[in-house]
Amino acid sequence: MFITDIKKDFYEVVANQRVALLVAGDIDALCACKILQALFHCDHIQYTLVPVTGWQELGTAFLEHKEQFRYFVLINCGANVDLLEMLQPDDDSIFFICDTHRPVDVVNVYNDTQIKLLIKQDDDLAVPSYDEIFRDEDEENEDDSGNESDEGSEPSGKRRRFDEGAVERRIERQRVRREWEARRKEILFDYEQYEYHGTSAAMMVFELAWVLTKDTKDMLWWAIVGLTDQWVHDKITHMKYVTDVATMQRHVSRHSHRNEDEENSLSIDCMRISFEYDLRLTLYQHWSLYESICNSCYTCCHFKLWTLNGQKKLQEYLADMGLPLKQVKQKFNSMDMSIKENLREVIEESSNKYGIKDIRIQTFGAQFGFKNRFLASDMVHAAAALLESTEKDESDTDNFIKALDSLSRSNLNRLLSGIDLAKKKLIAIQQTVASCICTNLILSQGPFLYCYLMEGTPDVKLFSKPMALSLLCKYLLKAFVHSTRNKRCKLLPLVMAAPKDVEKGTIIVVGIPPESETSDKKNFFGRAFEKAAESTGSRTLHDHFDTSVIELKTEDRIKFLDALITLLS
Amino acid sequence: MDPSEVEFLAEKELVKIVPNFSLDKIYLIGGDLGPFNPGLPVDVPLWLALNFKQRQKCRIIPPDWMDVEKLEEIRELEKREEAFTPVPSPYYMELTKLLLNHASDNIPKADEIRTLVKDIWDTRIAKLRLSADSFISQQEAHAKLDNLTLLEINTIREFLLNSLNCMFKLRSNLQAGSSGRTFTDY
Repeated sequence: MFITDIKKDFYEVVANQRVALLVAGDIDALCACKILQALFHCDHIQYTLVPVTGWQELGTAFLEHKEQFRYFVLINCGANVDLLEMLQPDDDSIFFICDTHRPVDVVNVYNDTQIKLLIKQDDDLAVPSYDEIFRDEDEENEDDSGNESDEGSEPSGKRRRFDEGAVERRIERQRVRREWEARRKEILFDYEQYEYHGTSAAMMVFELAWVLTKDTKDMLWWAIVGLTDQWVHDKITHMKYVTDVATMQRHVSRHSHRNEDEENSLSIDCMRISFEYDLRLTLYQHWSLYESICNSCYTCCHFKLWTLNGQKKLQEYLADMGLPLKQVKQKFNSMDMSIKENLREVIEESSNKYGIKDIRIQTFGAQFGFKNRFLASDMVHAAAALLESTEKDESDTDNFIKALDSLSRSNLNRLLSGIDLAKKKLIAIQQTVASCICTNLILSQGPFLYCYLMEGTPDVKLFSKPMALSLLCKYLLKAFVHSTRNKRCKLLPLVMAAPKDVEKGTIIVVGIPPESETSDKKNFFGRAFEKAAESTGSRTLHDHFDTSVIELKTEDRIKFLDALITLLS
Repeated sequence: MDPSEVEFLAEKELVKIVPNFSLDKIYLIGGDLGPFNPGLPVDVPLWLALNFKQRQKCRIIPPDWMDVEKLEEIRELEKREEAFTPVPSPYYMELTKLLLNHASDNIPKADEIRTLVKDIWDTRIAKLRLSADSFISQQEAHAKLDNLTLLEINTIREFLLNSLNCMFKLRSNLQAGSSGRTFTDY
């Protein structure tokens, strides 16, 4: 069931209890976890933090902890599957689910006792009503047994007539029931066909903090980073992002009204969050402007920087803005002040001339101390790179803890190392995109585009992780749409496969919806992958919380693909 | 004595806070505290104030002497005088550090205060070093220093005592040598 009063029904319930926090592996979940941890520290609520990367880990974590804990808080996992059936908990376990995955499973919505959803009842939920899906079984049986007893007690003379009447009624009831079941199947199919994402979990938990009046600037910053993660990894529509930014902007103004007071100005070490209408160049303040333009998806795709023509256009563009190459290629912090002052406006003007609209995006920046200025997207990229780093000897839990630490203000070294890793990741992505486009590795299979990264591709180890592979997928699709002349291909979705585990011989397959201006980011590949796997008997593992990411045995790749093609045509 | 021990002793100082929760009087070994009512200022020891602040249960009011003009006056006075001037609080350095680290958003003009207190500290330590130096070189028997705080004494204690011990050993060896007596190893 949905929780309406988050303070009374959630926080006060767990206030004196021990809680198990099961957190999924994406940045939004990490931010929500940090805010929740800070709240728990304030009120001395004991908790155990368990990072989970998939359904199997969720199951094992639950089994390990179900003896000691009654209350489980699941962040960014568990809403889109029938949790009670999967975990088989005891009757007194209570689950609080704060998840962005939609659609929410109907059993989770209508269970009143054990599942509490920390989700806003937006208008985009569209949950089918109770009567359409569930029907009391008792009425049916009573009627039948009532009729039978009637039949038995009646004298034999009238039996025939009653028999006919009873039989007719039964046939009628069965027909009605079959119709209802068919309609129910249709409704459920429509409801569960597309997978998409709702409001950020970090924002939900921040609202809890706000209701408790314990919200601080740090928590606000984490909520902003959670929202930005959804935008960077293309999980929500642009409209929704803008609306959520406006909500956050209200909180930011509320927190920062003290900065302007001359008499009592805040110490420079305090965190200041400001609304920025900043450039869409990834990590540009921690890199050189040139590198950032070359490695940001947006500019790279518009200029088509993998072609010679594109490179020339870039040089023209820089010359048009009057930026000397020497300045542009050195570290951003060391650029001339005169250039940095009007940089955003100059870039926007020039971009409009070259047909690059929307080079600026609404976002937030934080500053603490004289040296440390970060944009929300910088932190998202850094934390994502740390979370999915593929160094040897690092378990998933280690990476999780490192990424979690990098979000705190006191662990700047961690954050800076994350930014370095993110730079390497972005360069790897751009090079892979360039090579795929130049060697025409993207094939049109009819209803979708397909690309397979061979084992020997440079940096292919980076792409064995779902978030990195999804990012590559998104950039590749954008680049393809800009480079192809085939009008029909521009509207196709993309399925991408990359080697995941060489010893076990598995590959990871990701599907993303087609690229369009007004896309609603609804992904049907989850169901499609399931059906294709069933029909061919391929050995697949649907372990990830996003159903559009699966693991597949390399040998089954071809037949899985064929099944998918036939399914979707 | 370790500087952290001095900081621990400094945390017993009373500061004023404005809580946002309510609690009855609490009876601790060191004394009674409270009762706490939202919006009403109350005096508590620093350790409790910092704990409440970190749990976002209160707002800390800076002590009276933590004010830019007052500290500027004290700094000027310290520079002019040769002896040590009276300090605003026997634990002024520790209080400044703890309050500015944990509650800088409750203290107006925190950066300037940090600079001023550091200036005062530097001046006093410089005077202390000069006085220790002259004490040793003029071989005084005793010295009187007013208005020193525990943390300042602590910075010089180890070094001064050890160096005086060494000098005593050296001097007594010299005397033993000059009067022809055999000396024993200490």
